[in-house]
Amino acid sequence: MNAKASLGIDPEELASCVACGLCLPHCPTFRVTGEEWASPRGRISAMRQIQDQGAAIDQAFLSSMDSCVQCRGCEPACPSGVPFGSMMEATQAALARERRIDWRRWGFRVLGYRRLLNLLSRVLAVVQRLRLVPSKRLGLPKIPLRQDRLRASGDDVWLFTGCVMDAWQRSTHAAVKRVVESAGVGVALPGSGAACCGALSLHAGLEDHARALAARTMGALAGSAPILVDSSGCGAVLKEYGMLVGTAEAEEFSERVMDVHEWLATRLDMLPPAGEQDQEATVAVHDPCHLRHVQRAHQSVAEVLARYATAVALDDDGLCCGAGGAYAAMQPELAASIRERKLEAIGRSGADIVASANPGCTIHLANAGVTVLHPLEIVDEMLGEILDQAADDDR
Amino acid sequence: MIGGKTRAALESFAAEVGSDSPVAVVGGRTHWDLGGHCLEETRLVRAPAGIREFDPADMTIRVGAGTPVEELDAALAEAGQQANLPLVPGATVGGVLAVGRDDVHALGRGRLRDALLEAVYVADDGRLVKAGGPTVKNVSGFDLCRLLVGSLGTLGLVGEVILRTWPRPAAQLWMAGQCDPAELRRKLYWPSSILWDGQTSWVHLEGHESDIESEAEQARLLGCDSTDGPPPLPAYRVPATALESERFPGRYLVQVGTGVAYVSEHGPLPDPDPAVVALHQRLKWQFDPRGRLNPGRDPLAAI
Amino acid sequence: MKLLKASRRDSLLRDLRRVLPPDRVRVAPLERSIMGRDASIFEGGQAGPVCFPISTEEVQGCVDAARRHGRAVVPRGAGTGLAGGAVPLEEPVVVVTTKMNRLLSVDADQAVAWVQPGMINLDLSRALAPYGLHFAPDPSSQQVCSLGGNVGTNAGGPHCLALGVTSAHVLAVEVVLMSGEAVVLGDPDGCAPGLDLRGAYVGSEGMLGITTAIAVRLTPNPPAVQTLLLAFDSVDEAAQTVSAVIADGIVPAAIEMMDKNIIWAVENFVGAGFPLDAAAVVIVEVDGLPGGVAAEADRVAELALERGGRVRRAADDHERALIWKGRKSAFGAIAQIKPNYYLHDTVVPRTRLAEVMSRVYEIVEEHDLQVMNVFHAGDGNLHPLLLYDRREPGTLERVHAAGSAIIEASLAVGGVLSGEHGIGIEKRDFMPLMFSEADLDAQARLRRAFDPDEMANPGKVLPTGASCADVNTLGKIPEGVWG
Ligand SMILES: Cc1cc2nc3c(=O)[nH]c(=O)nc-3n(C[C@H](O)[C@H](O)[C@H](O)COP(=O)(O)OP(=O)(O)OC[C@H]3O[C@@H](n4cnc5c(N)ncnc54)[C@H](O)[C@@H]3O)c2cc1C
Ligand code: SF4
Ligand code: SF4
Repeated sequence: MNAKASLGIDPEELASCVACGLCLPHCPTFRVTGEEWASPRGRISAMRQIQDQGAAIDQAFLSSMDSCVQCRGCEPACPSGVPFGSMMEATQAALARERRIDWRRWGFRVLGYRRLLNLLSRVLAVVQRLRLVPSKRLGLPKIPLRQDRLRASGDDVWLFTGCVMDAWQRSTHAAVKRVVESAGVGVALPGSGAACCGALSLHAGLEDHARALAARTMGALAGSAPILVDSSGCGAVLKEYGMLVGTAEAEEFSERVMDVHEWLATRLDMLPPAGEQDQEATVAVHDPCHLRHVQRAHQSVAEVLARYATAVALDDDGLCCGAGGAYAAMQPELAASIRERKLEAIGRSGADIVASANPGCTIHLANAGVTVLHPLEIVDEMLGEILDQAADDDR
Repeated sequence: MIGGKTRAALESFAAEVGSDSPVAVVGGRTHWDLGGHCLEETRLVRAPAGIREFDPADMTIRVGAGTPVEELDAALAEAGQQANLPLVPGATVGGVLAVGRDDVHALGRGRLRDALLEAVYVADDGRLVKAGGPTVKNVSGFDLCRLLVGSLGTLGLVGEVILRTWPRPAAQLWMAGQCDPAELRRKLYWPSSILWDGQTSWVHLEGHESDIESEAEQARLLGCDSTDGPPPLPAYRVPATALESERFPGRYLVQVGTGVAYVSEHGPLPDPDPAVVALHQRLKWQFDPRGRLNPGRDPLAAI
Repeated sequence: MKLLKASRRDSLLRDLRRVLPPDRVRVAPLERSIMGRDASIFEGGQAGPVCFPISTEEVQGCVDAARRHGRAVVPRGAGTGLAGGAVPLEEPVVVVTTKMNRLLSVDADQAVAWVQPGMINLDLSRALAPYGLHFAPDPSSQQVCSLGGNVGTNAGGPHCLALGVTSAHVLAVEVVLMSGEAVVLGDPDGCAPGLDLRGAYVGSEGMLGITTAIAVRLTPNPPAVQTLLLAFDSVDEAAQTVSAVIADGIVPAAIEMMDKNIIWAVENFVGAGFPLDAAAVVIVEVDGLPGGVAAEADRVAELALERGGRVRRAADDHERALIWKGRKSAFGAIAQIKPNYYLHDTVVPRTRLAEVMSRVYEIVEEHDLQVMNVFHAGDGNLHPLLLYDRREPGTLERVHAAGSAIIEASLAVGGVLSGEHGIGIEKRDFMPLMFSEADLDAQARLRRAFDPDEMANPGKVLPTGASCADVNTLGKIPEGVWG
């Protein structure tokens, strides 16, 4: 491997870290290990060793990089605005080019083909029921055998349905759709072109594949209607298409993308009012990293939820739960110890339901026995009750 | 910077101490036998006395170690300030620092050991050594000042010090009553002193007038009333925890929250950890290998 | 020679791995080189094996192994030190205490807690919140620095003005000496007779032993707090106001000052609402019982107004938290302007603040540099941050020259070298400016009483030649350490 500039990180970005360490406690892997190589500052220092000092890429470097959840918790914590995410993506791309990447990651290519994914998922669902696959160990959710089809109700807004989530948690989309409709708008659904946002490929350093998926997705969500996203990992990437693809068209596309809570939070008065008894339900709000650290829109979840329930924030400064896309499957031990901290925070909150706006987190936390729902599933439930109540009152 | 006159006083103190033969420094002789008796043939010297430098706006003061604490207090009082030293009648500044006993208000005002910012002392070889620095905050090098407080002059003979000063409180009040001192501590935000003799609790409040009123109200609810001042302290200082495990037949007074108790008759104390004793010996060996400074005294025996 | 060194290291490694499991002794070149620096500007320190013990016994085991192999030992916490205290020189065994991060016990009645050294400062205060207590020293790095590191540097923080620095809040420490013995210095719940070994240990920058547990004194949360943000059109007016507050006999909980450049950088990150048109802001916090707080806050406001200041009072906890977040992110925000900074930490008498500040600006101008000032003004503790880009040839020399001039200017008015960051390697060679040979010799004696072989963190604090002992070969700063 060519020593100098081998990682292809922008030198200005690489030089921008002053090594103050203020990001360390916001890094989940540093929090659980206490070791510098598993911290943002250590990782940047390691990148510098390779790119500036010409050190060789070795196992120690790979484990430092691969142990990163890419949660980007270090970014908002950094007063100097060090763009860690982009440095890590460059590093992962360089490592992928050198074919130093884990074979399991090629599996992400499946995600772009919805029918294939659905088929594989159905097989997995059957296999799970026959107990042929240890789901717990792989961190997989129980996959539904049959799912009802979603139908469009108008063209005011798009609802982005994505890949894994559509295959495994279509009922969430249904709930989200109902809540959005209750604000009086019609929801359009993309065809199979918008099958995958490309997040997992991007984080694994497969940039070209991610770009190809982006092109397909943009094609499937044409027009000027806002694109609402109910999975914050997807939302974060869709919002970054401008940077990833680098065209004016992509830029415009990204402008249209909104997390569904972000969109709802500015239209609270259009939603049905809360019933009387509802505030009693206490929900702990888990902030998915890509909503909090990347989109920086996590407040909107609590704002929407607060209308229908008592939403409590966790007291861990939004530290990652360890799900991180495919991270939980690739680094099971670290992911589990990171989750342990999250579980403690959930315990301290006193709530028995957790709301998570990201399917990865939901699966990861649910595997530890926590009841996790999408925030809008909770709202949908409440709205259902309110409507039932109204119907009762009418009678 | 040290002015010429005070430097001269320090140098003549150093010359007097010299570089050989046993020597001890005398203050007010208020705790002369603490930690052992001064050996017979020891030469006695006195540290320079007098206020050297005091700009009230700096909230620090430089004084000769031989200055009586009452003189220091009077000078500070004129500027509405005080130092956190126990006002033992007749004692000198150097003396109370060497003895290391806290003022009775230590709970609220802080420990004596934190009052010392800089010290100039004569080392065993007769050289003048400066420890610490003149500012209220300083971490330049090892913290020798802390080591000097309570060292009974066994590591060096202190000639001059710089102390941190504090504003004198606007108002203050002593109260006493038959109540649980722990309860007082829980209920009051920042009492400057709580004393307890096994039956009666004394509490000292200081600060802004209206705050003292509201705190006094709390203390009254617990059964306290205004009083003239604290009771006299019994002679010996022991760790408060020792009261639980050892037999102390006489009167005692616990200085709540500082871990200190004063007793009128003392019994045996638990033996210190041998590793701690060894460190004491190594420090003495490093600072005074010939054992000429305040011979006969042992800080470990100072109760 | 090289070969010999390698095999020696291997047997050291074998011995260390008898004490710790293999994944807690790290030796890969990358893992060691990452440990080569802390938050100071030194790069190029070289670590030997990096150990992550989780108990006092394991720390003792590491020290024993190092001793048998004649290796120095460098304790390290979170590595946020700003003086290079935790930078390893010549491949010592590095003992990192971050994994020893538990709160061992809390006695709320006695206001004492025992903690392990790797516990993060802010985590302790958060854990104490249910008791209505906190740990008073709050370095701006408190969200990350470890309590072991705080003890190591005798750390200060904005709220140490009234309450004193770390030393005043540490009752006892459990220390592993370089003999391998573990000993408790000080007395957590009593006042055992003897020398204040605890006091001598706090601030010793890892050169007397390795801290394995700390008994900290806890402070009750104040019932009332007021935070004032004072804005001035000149640094001089700001500094005059600080001196006036102190001279007035008020001891606020904190008085912090920030100048224009840093206000801009911080505002960009936090959006705390700092006035961008001000030449300097002063944050004053008063706390305690409501009567005193109200009276002091009013008096501070009056003093500021008299000196041309504008006064804003934080309306609620949220606004107060934002102001502090702005203050505490200041150092980190520097890279928005330049990728490197060199920071001094002198303290001057508070009556001389305005004078020294204007001298600092002059010095920086003379050396054609940029400076930002954000500091503990109430203590007179300056933090001029000299900004530079080390990739620009020749700047580092100018930075060093300006740094020396600032130190000289501070000492000339009766100041000291360091208020809270410590001496480490960074200011080691400035020590003779403040201390005579006899003074330094006395400090070396303290060192030798604890560590006769100078095995703990050699090469720091005391300039070589300060002691009469054989000059330790480890005491040299290797070439290239000055990044
Ligand atoms: C952004 C920023 C702001 C800062 N603000 C402040 C401030 O306001 N006030 C302040 O005082 N400091 C401040 N600092 C400096 C630094 O945070 C403190 O010095 C802190 O105490 C260091 O803690 P650490 O855990 O990072 O220790 P390290 O940097 O790892 O070590 C510091 C020293 O302590 C020793 N040490 C560490 N652990 C142990 C142990 N277990 N046993 C023995 N020795 C040990 C090391 O050998 C070293 O000499 C700041 C730093 C940064 C980057
Ligand atoms: S992205 Fe997350 S895991 Fe990776 S370095 Fe940053 S905070 Fe740590
Ligand atoms: S990434 Fe930012 S916060 Fe982290 S060490 Fe570097 S400059 Fe500091």
